[in-house]
Amino acid sequence: MGENSPAFIRLESISKSFGTVHANRDISLDIHFGKIKALLGENGAGKSTLMGMLAGQLQPDKGSICLHGKPVAFSSTKAAIKAGIGMVYQHFMLVETMTVAENVFLGQEEGFFLQPKKMEDLVKDLAETYGLQIDPCARISDLSMGEKQRVEILKLLQRRSQLLIFDEPTAVLTPQEAIQLFTSLKQMARQGKAIVFISHKLDEVLEIADEIAVLRHGRVVDSLNRSDVNSKSELAQLMIGRDIMHKIDKRPLEPKQMVLRVKDLCDNVLKHINFEVRQGEVLGIVGVAGNGQKPLVETVCGLKPVEQGDVSIFGEPWYRFFSRRSWSNALCYIPEDRRGLASCLNLDLVDNFLLTTREGFSKGPWLNKREAEKKVQGLIDAFGVQPKDARILARQLSGGNLQKMVLAREFYRRPRLIVAEQPTQGLDIAATEDIWNLLLKAKDKAGILLLTGDLTEALSLSDRIAVMYEGRIMDTFYTHDTQKINQIGLMMAGIVP
Amino acid sequence: MSIEFFLPLLAAAVQSGTPVLYATLGEIFTEKSGVLNLGVEGIMMIGALAAFVTTMLSGSPILGFLVGGCAGAVLSGIHGLVCLVFQGNQVVSGLALTIFGVGLADYLGTPYIGQAAPGFNPLPVPILSKIPFLGSVFFNHDSLVYISYIIPMLMWLFFRYTRWGLGLRAVGEYPPAAIAGGLRVISYRWVGILVGGCLVGFGGAYLSLAYTHLWTNGLSAGRGWIAVALVIFAFWDPMRAMVGAYLFGGVMAFQLRLQAAGTHVPSSLLLMLPYALTVMVLVFSSWKGQGTEAPAALGVNIEPPD
Repeated sequence: MGENSPAFIRLESISKSFGTVHANRDISLDIHFGKIKALLGENGAGKSTLMGMLAGQLQPDKGSICLHGKPVAFSSTKAAIKAGIGMVYQHFMLVETMTVAENVFLGQEEGFFLQPKKMEDLVKDLAETYGLQIDPCARISDLSMGEKQRVEILKLLQRRSQLLIFDEPTAVLTPQEAIQLFTSLKQMARQGKAIVFISHKLDEVLEIADEIAVLRHGRVVDSLNRSDVNSKSELAQLMIGRDIMHKIDKRPLEPKQMVLRVKDLCDNVLKHINFEVRQGEVLGIVGVAGNGQKPLVETVCGLKPVEQGDVSIFGEPWYRFFSRRSWSNALCYIPEDRRGLASCLNLDLVDNFLLTTREGFSKGPWLNKREAEKKVQGLIDAFGVQPKDARILARQLSGGNLQKMVLAREFYRRPRLIVAEQPTQGLDIAATEDIWNLLLKAKDKAGILLLTGDLTEALSLSDRIAVMYEGRIMDTFYTHDTQKINQIGLMMAGIVP
Repeated sequence: MSIEFFLPLLAAAVQSGTPVLYATLGEIFTEKSGVLNLGVEGIMMIGALAAFVTTMLSGSPILGFLVGGCAGAVLSGIHGLVCLVFQGNQVVSGLALTIFGVGLADYLGTPYIGQAAPGFNPLPVPILSKIPFLGSVFFNHDSLVYISYIIPMLMWLFFRYTRWGLGLRAVGEYPPAAIAGGLRVISYRWVGILVGGCLVGFGGAYLSLAYTHLWTNGLSAGRGWIAVALVIFAFWDPMRAMVGAYLFGGVMAFQLRLQAAGTHVPSSLLLMLPYALTVMVLVFSSWKGQGTEAPAALGVNIEPPD
């Protein structure tokens, strides 16, 4: 089928808003059989909303969807599936205790009695046709994420879907599994299916897409063929609206007084941890998650008592420091779990702000909400949080904006020690850069303990790096020590070079 | 102890385990759909009373038994109304149902206290009852006991090999997947609640029609709660439920015999024995199993689509 084959699905000037937020504005899009269309955009650009309308989850406020030239309206996902449109969500819709075949045929079987043999054979046939290796008798709970995703795809194929939408499908996959997925996506396209691939990862999109639509702030800013794209940075510029900063402004500062010293800290996981953090420097602790980062952070932040060894904060012993009521002002903790530990999703931004900062905004038992709201509004402007509304609930913010709000709140207290745990996990490029710059700016007044699994992040921010493996610090070195830097990968795997 | 002591004891174990078995099977059925119904005790009492009164009035124990089941279904329908229609808390609703059912049955049953009704009598199965040992233990009972042998197998087949059974399990495990598959999840839960309530009602009916043949206050005496515990002991498997129910029934029959034989042990301690033992068995059996066999969406309401 050529470029000029009639569009299988045509979206015409679709708009959708949630309250005052315009998720999609006047979007038009053609989707063809036999092609892989990538929807490229940052988090919050409106990709998932758009596809949600196609998959029958949401209904557009304005505009129309035409299927084979005829306008259609999907009132539910069921109606969309019936029309041949299916979506593979990031959270899998699978019953863990059942087998692959049972999940594929759930709600689809005919007759009163199940025919396990027949179901398994059908699944096997489908899997072979599209190159999705799977054992139809396996239990879902025994499968890897990649295999579970294959089951989701098989469900759609069994329902004779002609258009398959993938919402950031590689987010849960290992690199090998992602390669396998790409192979089967291409195979499906070759067999005449239409594929939509939602992503914010440039490399992926360039590798797999035939056509690319770039979304920004709810609009399609450009639609192009893969062959028309010359470089990655061109695409990035379209997506972000400006150049990616390839360099972060990391000024080395003269480290000043000691803010944190950990000496010979041990517990059932940690083994003789030693390090210190001074004002004006970032110490990055890198390692694969689950190698003792959690207990270390919890101990430093006073959530878990010191079992053995010494921890001193601002020169004070751990016990004395955490037994005083006003300690929290100088130490701030940016938890990994920004939607759990760091914020109350059902409270608005003002209340979330007051959760950790009551000083100056309370009189006796009363909170001065008006004053707090003014302050929060100021922070929202200063930190560039979108949307600019202090009364919005925390759950309505995208991940990047919520993280900025958490930083704004914590930095307001002028901390002298900042413990940041995976601060940019799951954020898009622009938000990540914003967070990095905010952290580097705070370095002036504070010492920062950064825990991360992302090497780029560790190298971009840290002055010194410590590698953690199985509760031990393998080595600590400066980031200009290129020889050591090249060995980080080995050390993270527990190998002493 | 001799075989003359043991054979009747084992036979009695099966008989006194049967009402608990019915109730346990009913609760398993309901919980498989993801609904926790703690109203078992109350539903049993109402089932027992409805069956007893119907039998007194009509003279037909079969009709009484069926009415007992229907009464159980109707009462558990209240639970469905609260949890499925109004999205109420399943624990609170179930507890309220127990309090309501026990109280109502005691109140309405007052005129019948001490009266006897024609009930089900032993009906030895030809040939099978002649098998040495097994025959007298398993096949020398009333017809309701035989029915209770078949139900677990039917339930097992239903869950494993039927379309509706697969749907019911999916609704109890992960409703979003069931919705995505196009199943009407609320209807499935209604079926779970009503069929389960009916089986629990049968359990109550068995108590008044075949076990005691007469009406007293507090007839079920905590058997409903035992059933709730046995569901966990059985890991939601209807076949294992038989083991648990007969274990309870066995200790029940044993302590009754001890009381009749006149030991020096206070009767209240003996009465406690079957319950204490069930709790202990439950503790030991849950020690290793981490409760992973429980339907994952048990007790979680399904939010209606926006």
